[in-house]
Amino acid sequence: MADTPVSEGHLVLEALAKTYPGKDGAAVRGVDLTVERGRMLAVLGPSGCGKSTTLRMIAGLVEPTAGRIRVDGRDLTDVPVHRRDMGVVFQSYALFPHLDVARNVAFGLEMRGTPKAELRRRVDEALDLVRLGHLAGRRIAQLSGGQQQRVALARALVVKPAVLLLDEPLSNLDAQLRSAMRDEIVRIQRETGVTTVFVTHDQQEALSMADGVAVMNQGRIEQTGTPEDIYERPERPFVARFVGRANLLDGTVSGVEADTVAVALPGLGTVRAAGGPVTAGAATTVMLRPHRIALTGAAPGSGAVRGTVLSAGYAGETVAYRVRVGDAGPVLDVERPTGAHASYGPGAEVELSWDPDAPRLVAAEEGTE
Amino acid sequence: MTAAPGTAPEADPKATPEAATAPVRDSPERPARRRGPARQALVLLVPGLLALLLTYALPLVWVVRMSLNESGEGGLIRQTVSLATFGEVLGSSHYGNVIRQTVELGVLVTFFTLVVSYPVALFLARTTSRWRGLLMALAIAPLLISSVARTFGWMAILGRQGVVNKTLDGLGLIDAPLHLANNLTGVVIASTEIYMPFAILAMISGFGRLDPALEHAAASLGAPRRTVFRRIVLPLTLPGVLTAGLLVFVLSLSGYVTPRLIGGGRVFVLATEIYDEAITSLDWPVAAVLSMLLLALFGVVIAVYLWAQRALEARFTGAQEARS
Amino acid sequence: MTTRRLTRTVWAAVLTVLYLFLLAPILVVLVESFDHSTYLRFPPEAFSLESYRQVFANEAFREGFKVSGITAAVTALLAMATGVPAALALTRLRFRGRSAIEAAFLSPLLVPHIVLGLALLLILAPIPLTDTYWGLILAHLGVSVPYVVRTVSAALASADPRAEEAARTLGASGPMTFWRITLPAIRPGLFSGGVIAFLLSFDETVISLFVSGQNTVPLPVAVLQYVEYRSDPSVASLSVLLVLLSVAVVVLVERGLGLRRTLRS
Repeated sequence: MADTPVSEGHLVLEALAKTYPGKDGAAVRGVDLTVERGRMLAVLGPSGCGKSTTLRMIAGLVEPTAGRIRVDGRDLTDVPVHRRDMGVVFQSYALFPHLDVARNVAFGLEMRGTPKAELRRRVDEALDLVRLGHLAGRRIAQLSGGQQQRVALARALVVKPAVLLLDEPLSNLDAQLRSAMRDEIVRIQRETGVTTVFVTHDQQEALSMADGVAVMNQGRIEQTGTPEDIYERPERPFVARFVGRANLLDGTVSGVEADTVAVALPGLGTVRAAGGPVTAGAATTVMLRPHRIALTGAAPGSGAVRGTVLSAGYAGETVAYRVRVGDAGPVLDVERPTGAHASYGPGAEVELSWDPDAPRLVAAEEGTE
Repeated sequence: MTAAPGTAPEADPKATPEAATAPVRDSPERPARRRGPARQALVLLVPGLLALLLTYALPLVWVVRMSLNESGEGGLIRQTVSLATFGEVLGSSHYGNVIRQTVELGVLVTFFTLVVSYPVALFLARTTSRWRGLLMALAIAPLLISSVARTFGWMAILGRQGVVNKTLDGLGLIDAPLHLANNLTGVVIASTEIYMPFAILAMISGFGRLDPALEHAAASLGAPRRTVFRRIVLPLTLPGVLTAGLLVFVLSLSGYVTPRLIGGGRVFVLATEIYDEAITSLDWPVAAVLSMLLLALFGVVIAVYLWAQRALEARFTGAQEARS
Repeated sequence: MTTRRLTRTVWAAVLTVLYLFLLAPILVVLVESFDHSTYLRFPPEAFSLESYRQVFANEAFREGFKVSGITAAVTALLAMATGVPAALALTRLRFRGRSAIEAAFLSPLLVPHIVLGLALLLILAPIPLTDTYWGLILAHLGVSVPYVVRTVSAALASADPRAEEAARTLGASGPMTFWRITLPAIRPGLFSGGVIAFLLSFDETVISLFVSGQNTVPLPVAVLQYVEYRSDPSVASLSVLLVLLSVAVVVLVERGLGLRRTLRS
């Protein structure tokens, strides 16, 4: 979202928090979020991190313990669910089993007292939008999972909600359908231009669909940014670990230069990494993505980092290695594309190298803040 | 797609939140759920709780109170608080026999019902036959007919001129009719059949963990059929059998219709005695005391059931693992 | 292979015998119902519909049918009116003591009817409500409510609460959500709750024995008294008629529900 002009957020959460009585700790502890008009934000996190609770608070299904929810500057925190005008797609879709497809979609319009002719027209439009026009008279039980998903989308969108909320929208679909629906949801969101928030535990989903990603852990937002920010420039070890695979190496800052930092890593020597700001002598963590590390046969006498292959796992497109640096150094995960490199078996002596921009500083856990 | 639902809000005033609140009809200031679920629950629960209080709780309290009264001359009730009536009942040899016969009937009926129900339940739980639905329906069909009518059917089968005696006589196997009715034997036979559908249903729902794959797995590991039954099927089905046993025992302890009709006034159990004391002798304190004894018997049975359940659980899970 | 076949044959024979035992009284009742002799004999001498005619001619049976029908209808209505809101509270609301109240609602299932009958006699006799419609209805209400609460609770538990939430997010108020979403979802549960309550009351024998007298005698009590002193086959015919009636009611209502469902979509 770095390239969009600064505008006031469409959906704004301010210090939103939820504590359940009788349970230790808060489910959500002070979430601040801004979603610009027409954008799609993914809230990404492990199960139990509070992301669904946050979504349900936006929808009005859960009453926040503290904080405010605003849409277009209007405070909706005390507005009851049925007057809040949020389109919600539930994880289980929550379609009305006793109504057919068209009447499911029409429900929200009926509640708003929409005149019959307009209602019929808008239901047809909504069903066309999700490409289900031909199934209007079907019963819900006769639909496949993907079709139910589309009905749920049409039902939420037909009332032209202020914000569309999707709770784990793809988790109930099988793998093939999932990637098709991923594109479908992106297309529908683009076509309608509705401000969208979706919740997921799947980093692929979050990175590939959303304009912005908020990574959540233990009731807090760890980092917000574009998918690229989150993957390439994680600010915290949790984000680095949760989004993609990462080698995280603890060390001490030995020198600070213009745009790189020298970090002394035990067993590995000094590594230059981008990121900061940090001060010399501080404890920090360096992240190295497994696929950014290259392996070559060990050339005796070279000054490069040397290691021993502990194991090699063939995984089709890639080979996953575990390599011990030196004799007693850290063990690194290394991922190389199949066929593009000579393969090594356990026990092989190798040399490890990486591009200068591969190592990133991530703040040490509970460290700099 | 400018006409599509949810078109970018700038293009459609309908989608702004101001417009959204207007068309929705009712408009309470605060959402209903904030009134507190406890108060809502109270409003919803009061009619039901009132019904239970009047038609169940209060009458039971009355029985407890009545059991502490004493019966005077000519059906009069002496209002007092004493255990005299308990003492009178427990000290009498007649009621001792009644209690003994009640327990005896319960044990016999439970045993026979379990024995005849287990094969049927096991078959219904495991079969993949296309007749399964029909056979299941047949097994519980007797529940459609009142126990009075089924008892009537048994009278026609077990009586002096009944089906059994007629058949045996016709075959020349007996000289005099067998005494199958108006005694404990008849009551046990008829009760066994009457509680069979309950036992079958309880067993099948308790057999939930019985997975044919387990039997196949055991067989593939080299266990002969007999061993598969003893080591796999029996342990997995025993909890269901235990539940069925509890159900049948409790039902037969308090059964009234069958002992009265088949017993022909010659089988005395707690249920028939409670009715006779209350309606014929009008001795309500004694009827109340007998009811308390029946409830105490229930308590003992349930305690035994809970103990057996725990013992089974320990025997077939924890202990088994520890031994092997 | 042969031992296997032998096992299978023995198994089939055992099952056949057990099914025969289980169904014996029903078969006898069915056969007897076509007998016309004045006392029980088996097999019947001649087949006729005479004893069916006698059922309709029997004043006690006709009166008992009326008493049981009215009692069961009112009991079912009251049990639904008190049990459905309770089920709603127990499944949809969170409050302190919920599980204790749930246990209280199911506890009448644990008390033997012979004890409940005595208890109701003790409390209804002094009012005096014994031998009246209201006495019977109150006596049957306590044992019917738990079944309604259990059946409707099960229906509510299996109805998706997310669908109710979805309706709320689409602009439906609380009562509107109940009317448009919850009620249609639990309609089969409501129907079976009502039918179970009706049949329980219609079939209730032991409790009725305690609280009925000479004026208001429900059918099961009339039948019991008849069987005790007479042994002609009209009771068999009556049983067959009652089974046919309950099957017909279930099928008809099921058809009605199914029909309505097809009309709606």
